[in-house]
Amino acid sequence: MSYALQTLWHERQRYASGVLAVTFSAVLIALQCGLLLGLFKITSIPIDHTSSDLDHTIWIGSTAVQSVDLGKPIPESFTTRIAGLPGISMPEQYIVNYGNFTKPTGGTELCFLLGSRLDDGGLAAADVLSPEQRAGLTEPFTIIIDQSDAKRLGIAGPGAKPKINGKEVTVIGMVSGLKTLAAPWVFCSTHTARQLLGHLLPPNHTTYLLARADTPARAKEVATQLREQYGSDMTAYTAHDFSSGSRWYWLTRTKAGIAIGYAALLGLLVGAVITYQTLYSATAASAKEFAILLALGIPRWRISVMVMAQSFWVGIIGILLSYPVCLLLREAARAGSVDVDLRWEVLAGTSGVTTVMALIAGTLALRSVKKIEPMDLLR
Amino acid sequence: MSASVSTNPTLRGVSLTRTYGDGAKRRAALREVSLGLYPGQLALLMGPSGSGKSTLLAVLSGLLEPDSGHVLAEDRGEERDIWSMTSKQREEFRLRTTGFVFQGYNLFPALTARQQLEIVLKWGGYASGGEARRQADAMLDKLGLSANRHKKPAQLSGGEKQRVAIGRALVKNPLFVFADEPTSALDWENGQRVIEMLRDAAHERGASILVVSHDHRIVPFVDVYYHLEDGHLEERPLTPGGHGVH
Repeated sequence: MSYALQTLWHERQRYASGVLAVTFSAVLIALQCGLLLGLFKITSIPIDHTSSDLDHTIWIGSTAVQSVDLGKPIPESFTTRIAGLPGISMPEQYIVNYGNFTKPTGGTELCFLLGSRLDDGGLAAADVLSPEQRAGLTEPFTIIIDQSDAKRLGIAGPGAKPKINGKEVTVIGMVSGLKTLAAPWVFCSTHTARQLLGHLLPPNHTTYLLARADTPARAKEVATQLREQYGSDMTAYTAHDFSSGSRWYWLTRTKAGIAIGYAALLGLLVGAVITYQTLYSATAASAKEFAILLALGIPRWRISVMVMAQSFWVGIIGILLSYPVCLLLREAARAGSVDVDLRWEVLAGTSGVTTVMALIAGTLALRSVKKIEPMDLLR
Repeated sequence: MSASVSTNPTLRGVSLTRTYGDGAKRRAALREVSLGLYPGQLALLMGPSGSGKSTLLAVLSGLLEPDSGHVLAEDRGEERDIWSMTSKQREEFRLRTTGFVFQGYNLFPALTARQQLEIVLKWGGYASGGEARRQADAMLDKLGLSANRHKKPAQLSGGEKQRVAIGRALVKNPLFVFADEPTSALDWENGQRVIEMLRDAAHERGASILVVSHDHRIVPFVDVYYHLEDGHLEERPLTPGGHGVH
């Protein structure tokens, strides 16, 4: 075991505050990022919760569309640009648009219509719809909503008759697990969506076209090819790219990234200050032992390396402790139906940032090494 | 045991002066002090508190620069003034030639007795890995600490701790050892053992050892005895049993 690590273990009570400060910073940063990623997963639900395989699916939409909710109508005739490409299925239409929802109980809400093909093999229908619900939605002017939005939309249960864009619809059922950030999702058939949108969707237009590629590689290839060839009036993404693009758009547009940046910075500052103080006082407390090494002619950089090694280990131990804490808090959040997305990129990024923080704290603590003088042993 | 002393000193302080403070508070700790340390010799420096003993030790050992005077050391066959060296050269000189023992043992609480010695060998570039361990163990054996090599300072008595500190000073086989009040925190039995060890180190290894102390009981164990008072140094006769040099 290195002298640095051995000292850390021997004087663990002294170093505990530094280690816990790193843990605190790491947990704060990881959870902030995880919460935000979890939150913004909601923005890509119309992409992620389709019946299609994300790896194989190509989305075609209006020019430079950045997020799934921002699609403008495109002509159905674009189908011909895709149909017949080798290894690509016949595209299907997916109509998504905002609508004005009038509650049966009075008052209005903004809603987001998701009109898809409902027969077996359709790509766009929500994966949470049961076969019965799909069958039910084929009736014109029928809709399904998520349970979590029922109260907000004034829906007591199936059979309720609200209006969308002034046209009466019937709620035939509910799904669960598809929360929303702003406008509640309303699932229906493409036919119902067209009827409800009226002039908002010009004749012979759709919002998206979805096609299935034989392989994920083919999906990427065709998406790139379509963008290059028809970039002036449409765009094409793989489902994965469009999903992460939608989340990124919302993350940056809402400035939530900045908010999390500030919170993370604050966590880092607190962690850095406490870690610095811990290392500084620990080094000062060992000043006499270090001073005798200096008197013996041991170069000062050797001591600096030991302090830096201690700061590194304080960082590593703090980060290791933060993992179980993060996982526990994620489970606690899940129990409250809040998704904390602790993907490996989040954990790796947090580990990197907090290790650097600990090393910076160690660098600052080197001031105490500079103050050590062998002469002090004789005073 | 007789001292094997050569005729030429390995370290000479020549007309060393050192003052502290300014103006009316100016106080001379050393006034034109000269002395030589000889190989194989255990020298004792005594004097009342505040007489400048520690200042002289610091000046001779390269830790504190004198206002005037020279500290000339035999180094690789030539005599050099350590205060004409750059601080890096002096640090390197101390690394090669000098060991220290202080009143406080200043051992790392987290490290075992063996590691306290190993750290000097490894960080000083003397030896690494197994060789450092072997040399550390050999020194601990010599100091009667074989059974304590895996113990940390908290598990050692005061006498044992000071012996480890002596081992740390001697493990790199220095030409000079400076010991500041090495026995003052110990009872006489342990104090005697410590001073005997330092004497043996001088006589067996040929090191020049300077001990600063208040303790008159160690006079019989040394080869030469200096007294410092009001910045003036004089050599005093040894009590019977001591070993004269000149």
